[in-house]
Amino acid sequence: MNAARVPKFEKLNPPPDPQAQASPEAVQAIGRALGAHYSDLVQAPLPDKLLQLLAKLDDEQSAPTNEGSGNAVG
Amino acid sequence: MPSANFKDDLLAEIRNLRAFAISLSGSVSLADDLVQEALLRAWANSEKFQPGTSLRAWLFTILRNIYYSNYRKRSREVQDSDGFYARRLTVPGDQESHLDLEDFRNALTKLPAEQREVLTLIGASGLSYEEAAVVC
Repeated sequence: MNAARVPKFEKLNPPPDPQAQASPEAVQAIGRALGAHYSDLVQAPLPDKLLQLLAKLDDEQSAPTNEGSGNAVG
Repeated sequence: MPSANFKDDLLAEIRNLRAFAISLSGSVSLADDLVQEALLRAWANSEKFQPGTSLRAWLFTILRNIYYSNYRKRSREVQDSDGFYARRLTVPGDQESHLDLEDFRNALTKLPAEQREVLTLIGASGLSYEEAAVVC
């Protein structure tokens, strides 16, 4: 064990420089990861709890009177 | 009573709203509470929505108001015990990108909520800068 050879933590992990700019490659990689993360969440199936709520809102809307909008396309 | 159009538009935004809620709160169960509350509030206030503006931005605004006014403190306590969303939601894909995604999510949770929110809004939610600025 030679302590002198162990690099100082601070040297390996200097505090972030507030002025520092990330490289364009890094920015692109973060953007891609962010997109993958988010689209994965968007595609996740909805839980029963929310599906039930939606069904309830649906009932509430169609229950009182059917305003007979026939073939209305919208 | 909200119009049928409003309801359809709302339905179309739910997955996105939930994705935003999960990103914001870092917790799936909390996110589902948030989405539920936001939907009910949007439903009850549908006449306040201005047609022609972004429904997504409007819903995000409602949801984040609920989060910051009611849930934020609790979410700090809940977050770790909740089981992180990466493990719960990820659709099995190829191993490597799965790992990347998990690393990325772990890193994302280390950011303060405000920064995570801005990154999500600007980088992934599909809102324009102007719409994102309205939300925050």
